[in-house]
Amino acid sequence: ENSVLKAQSPKQKQTTCHICAFFGRRRMSHNNNRRRHNNRGGGGGKHQQAVVVDESNPILMAFQGFARELDDKHDRYERIVKIGRDITIESKRIIFLLHTIDHRKDNAEKVLAEAHQRLQKVCTGSFAEIAKELSGRDQYQYARAFSPGLQEFIEAYTFFEYSTGENLSDWEVVQERLKYNVEEKSIECLVQPIEFMLGIADMTGEVMRRCVNSLGSGDVDGCFNANRFLQTLFTGYIGLGATHNREMSRKMHTLRQSIMKTEAVCYNLKVRGKEAAKWGAEENLFLDKAGDHQANNAADIDEGFFC
Amino acid sequence: MQNQIIKNIFTKFQESLNKEQELREEIRIIVREIDQSAKEAAIALQIMHTSIAGISQGCLKAREHFAVCQKGYRKLAEIVPAGQYYRYSDHWHYLTQKLVSLVALTVYLEAGFLVARETVGEVLGLELTQANGFHLELEDYLIGVLQMVTELARFAVNSVTLGDYQRPLMISRFVADINAGYRLLNLKNDGLRKRFDALKYDVKKIEEIVYDVSIRGLVRDAAPPPPAVDAAAADGAEEAKEMKE
Repeated sequence: ENSVLKAQSPKQKQTTCHICAFFGRRRMSHNNNRRRHNNRGGGGGKHQQAVVVDESNPILMAFQGFARELDDKHDRYERIVKIGRDITIESKRIIFLLHTIDHRKDNAEKVLAEAHQRLQKVCTGSFAEIAKELSGRDQYQYARAFSPGLQEFIEAYTFFEYSTGENLSDWEVVQERLKYNVEEKSIECLVQPIEFMLGIADMTGEVMRRCVNSLGSGDVDGCFNANRFLQTLFTGYIGLGATHNREMSRKMHTLRQSIMKTEAVCYNLKVRGKEAAKWGAEENLFLDKAGDHQANNAADIDEGFFC
Repeated sequence: MQNQIIKNIFTKFQESLNKEQELREEIRIIVREIDQSAKEAAIALQIMHTSIAGISQGCLKAREHFAVCQKGYRKLAEIVPAGQYYRYSDHWHYLTQKLVSLVALTVYLEAGFLVARETVGEVLGLELTQANGFHLELEDYLIGVLQMVTELARFAVNSVTLGDYQRPLMISRFVADINAGYRLLNLKNDGLRKRFDALKYDVKKIEEIVYDVSIRGLVRDAAPPPPAVDAAAADGAEEAKEMKE
């Protein structure tokens, strides 16, 4: 056991954090606290105010410059993360809005118009701010700071396109929309192809929900369309070579599950007709305990419920 | 119609993936070449732990290898597209940090001061700022310097073994300055912070060596103890040391 301890100790030394090392604690003992001092220096609130430094010491003079440079980097990163979060929230809301499209209420036009306008606002608002922060810098340096927001936005954007029945655009189209002209200079938010593909993979989950919702509202064509759309996308994803992206394989797994759900929906529609499928689907997919006889019973109770 | 369009998107994506893979492959080959030279430079510098007299020779040899590394970096700069440094930089982060530490060590051994970021850039053929192109990242420089300090802690031990009692003192002063410098930085919880956390162990190690040599009066310019109790003080220290052990 002794040798095990010895083997671990250098590693622990490395990962021991600042504050805890000061108190002589090891990382293991305070895993829960770890997040708390994760973002020190972030947000720009805690910075030391110009420490007075011995001017004859060249090392200290140099490090003062480094400190400024690092602070600028961290602050910029934090600012972009913040804007990215706003984008995530607004995109989620737009997706939610798009889900309110109901075959029965005939509200598609109104909802789509509002979604379009809000998407536009995200482009000209939050993304323009990020582009300003990135202006004149390596586009890939801060890409990670707003990648969740960008993916969520792509999800909303492509889901919007799907809802309107338009053709799916690719990342170059989205990239065009995130280009801005400021003071006769073109600035942009980089849209990496991989981010776009991850965003689309997220969107498939929304299409699956749409498919199940359509079933509920009796929009049979909607179900079959969604299913076909997902199948095409799934075929495409399978054909891709290694992307070296951990997220991608996880999303593929989810996509597979979504597609099986929509296929079950279409299957029910075909076999039992509209009404039965509606009940069957709800019980099969959500309660996960429905048998065939229940579904048939449901068809009996269903009289007059479906409009 | 929709089908065809989706197919096109995937084909296009696959093409972009392939292109990136190819470039990464090229980068990997060049990085491996530079890494080889960096290793040889590190080997040349190891002489400092066994022979004080061989140091200047070792530094000269290391500088030859740095020249080879410089050529490698120039090649890298050519194949990495402008504005995509950070897309591929994880391929050479570690390598650059290692090289910074070697360059810093060489300069310290030759001249006794901390190498400036500009100088490292010159030696390795890297630009100073992002705007100028293929550059030396600040974090890489800072981590490299920390690695050098670890090597100096080892050097302090071995220089005593080799009979050079002055050197730990010089190293101690130098490292104290560096330590003060890093304390000016607001570090985030990232790789640099983790590496910085290890600095205090090096500082402690070096201070212990200075303590050992100065308490035994092995250092010339340490505050001279009062002549009358000179021998007694040395004995006392010896005893204290024995008791500690």
